[in-house]
Amino acid sequence: MKVVQVRCPSCNSPIYSKQRDRLFYCDKCNVIHVRDGGVDKIDFEIGEFKSEPREERVYVPFWRLYCSFVIRSKRVEGGHVFRLVSWMRGEDGSGTLFIYIPAADLDTAMFKRLAVEFTLSSPKYNTRLNFGSTPRMPTVISRDEAKELADFVVVTMEAEKPGVLQRLDYSLIVNSTKMIYLPFGIGPGGMVPAF
Amino acid sequence: MTDVSVALNCPACGGAISVAEGVDTVVCSYCSSTLFIEGDRGVTTIAFRNRLSKQRAVDASRRWWSKGWKARDLKRAGKIVEVYPIYLPFWRATTRVAGWICGYEIRRHTDSKGRVHEQKVPKEVMVLRDYQFSEIAADPGDLGIRSLRNFSGETSFADFDMIPTFEATNSRDDAVAHAKQEAISRARSSAGIPRVTMERLHIFPRRLSMVYYPVWVVRYEYRERMYLTTVDGVTGMLLSGRAPGDPLFQSLAITAGSSVGGLLAALGIMLSTVRAEVAFGGILAGLAVLYLTYRFFRHGSEIIEGDFRHKPASMSQTVKEFQDIARTLQGDYR
Amino acid sequence: MASTKCPKCAAPVTFDTGTKFVKCSYCESQIFIDRSGAGFYYAVPFSVAEADAIGLFKRWAAGPARAKDLDKHAQIAGIRKQYFPVYMFKRDVKGREEVLVEPAGSTTLPGLHKLRIPAGDIKIFDEGFDIGGAELVKPDIEMLSYMDSLPGKAKEQALVYFPIWRMDYVFDQKRFEVVIDASTGEIFSANFPARSSTAYMVVAAAGFVAFALEGLLALSSLAVAASLMALTVVGIFAASYYVARRL
Repeated sequence: MKVVQVRCPSCNSPIYSKQRDRLFYCDKCNVIHVRDGGVDKIDFEIGEFKSEPREERVYVPFWRLYCSFVIRSKRVEGGHVFRLVSWMRGEDGSGTLFIYIPAADLDTAMFKRLAVEFTLSSPKYNTRLNFGSTPRMPTVISRDEAKELADFVVVTMEAEKPGVLQRLDYSLIVNSTKMIYLPFGIGPGGMVPAF
Repeated sequence: MTDVSVALNCPACGGAISVAEGVDTVVCSYCSSTLFIEGDRGVTTIAFRNRLSKQRAVDASRRWWSKGWKARDLKRAGKIVEVYPIYLPFWRATTRVAGWICGYEIRRHTDSKGRVHEQKVPKEVMVLRDYQFSEIAADPGDLGIRSLRNFSGETSFADFDMIPTFEATNSRDDAVAHAKQEAISRARSSAGIPRVTMERLHIFPRRLSMVYYPVWVVRYEYRERMYLTTVDGVTGMLLSGRAPGDPLFQSLAITAGSSVGGLLAALGIMLSTVRAEVAFGGILAGLAVLYLTYRFFRHGSEIIEGDFRHKPASMSQTVKEFQDIARTLQGDYR
Repeated sequence: MASTKCPKCAAPVTFDTGTKFVKCSYCESQIFIDRSGAGFYYAVPFSVAEADAIGLFKRWAAGPARAKDLDKHAQIAGIRKQYFPVYMFKRDVKGREEVLVEPAGSTTLPGLHKLRIPAGDIKIFDEGFDIGGAELVKPDIEMLSYMDSLPGKAKEQALVYFPIWRMDYVFDQKRFEVVIDASTGEIFSANFPARSSTAYMVVAAAGFVAFALEGLLALSSLAVAASLMALTVVGIFAASYYVARRL
């Protein structure tokens, strides 16, 4: 066991943070890094809030995976439309897409809803350079776990269409990952996107 | 042994820091630097507070004596010898399973002309759930306890110095591996698809902690023999135990079992003129009844409750085994 | 309790078996106990006294798998209180924790198929530990002889003494041996006088066949069948009661 001080791998300044988070954010030089075995810098983006705050604001972390997708064969019973092709950019059962994986500690229902919703239609937002004074939810899902979850999201979208999925032979290649902090408002009805 | 102690200082300001087991980051209370723990950082440990008095542990055991088919003179001849609490260590893991299981079920139905039709019903089931798993972190020996049944209660280390604490000796990664296996098999059985054509399951270990749970050990004597029961120190429920059986109940069981079983078989044979399968079904049902009662007849001289390594069969145990199988199939066990 | 020096103020600090962190009672600093480089001696205290051990043996001997009335007829020929040694190694094998239990001596325990450490309140075995008159079985394999061949990196290694009662008994002019784990009360035995299931099976099968035949007979003559059944009930009950009590 060894105790080390957490310093930014880019500007070497110490990091001060009260909350426990897998990701360490340096507010001096705007760099995020992770310590899973080694020290790794993480490519990230912060979304801008659309309107003036009415409710409590929070940033929710998402892994955005840019994936290539090839379907080799499939079998669906009872359904006639194979919709996967329609939302993918490309033809012949192959193409590329962005998959969004919520990285915060969310319950399973919320996790699934956000993942499917954002992957089906990529969120549009303006970006900003820092978090300002808005708190961010800690990240609990690692990048490797996000890659496995991307697979789950893809099958989910395919299965939740008319017809009963019986077989899906495909390959999913993750080309790049990025951490996206999306603005949310916490109101009486729960978390709602605020971009 | 002077080289075993390592001081914990903040590498930035040199101030003493306090690290709880299982955490990976701490904040220095002097200079508020974020500090990262590398290497073995242990696991989060909690202890449940004992809520039982000695008397309540004894009462729970005595209540158990009078239940079921135990020796009729147990309440008179049984003598409590020793009662003491212990802390038992358990690994507790939360595992998330995310995935899909697709496949089909074959349904058979007979139409008005007596012809059998087979229908293939395709199914797709999503699994997205957190599963709780617990496993004793030491060799349970003859305590008859293997996993936790209760996860709620007041947590505190207040009793820790008073109650003997059994040490954890099993590997935590073995426990995580078992938690994964169990999560997958429970996910499969909750999907309930008999013929699987595609399975894509992902497992994510979420949380692991060490739980010290208070258990009362009650030892009693019956006809010079020493028996042992254990009582949950939080809920007051009996966890495990052995007790003497009674030959009267054993012989009543086999008398009832062989008569009911035999008559069921006879009934089946008599109705075989209607349909041949009925005879088969009747004999099978009869043999099943016979088997259940036979096991109690043969092994009922000792009644056992709990998870023992060599678990001889008693009647309630066998019935429970069947219930467990049924529950596992429904996927809501534990 | 073992003792070490506080790396800050050099005051003695005591710690127990499972402890990872301790606080120095003088300077209040938190200390991490690093067990990877040292070998420890541990022992599990006896919680089963001699009379209890005999009681546990009798309970086991009265069990359904043992010869009928073994608890009454077995002559206890000798009982020994012993501390039996095994090695426990905790290793880090490619980031995975593995616990290995290895023999510390050439002696083996009958009935113990896999070497293990029974659950117990493991204490540090030093001068202050009271062995209660038990005989210490000396380890004749050195801990170091394992260290080189074990996989991974060391996390902890210890010689663990666990408490047993070794008992010899004579039944039907033959000698048998049992080992009683004196922490949880588990009984180990390689061979013992076993009870035959034949009589139990014969009674059960006879009852089943008789009732099945009488059930069929009821088709032609209900009165005869009913009276035969009444007789069979009495017969089976008497036979099974005799078997359960005596055989």
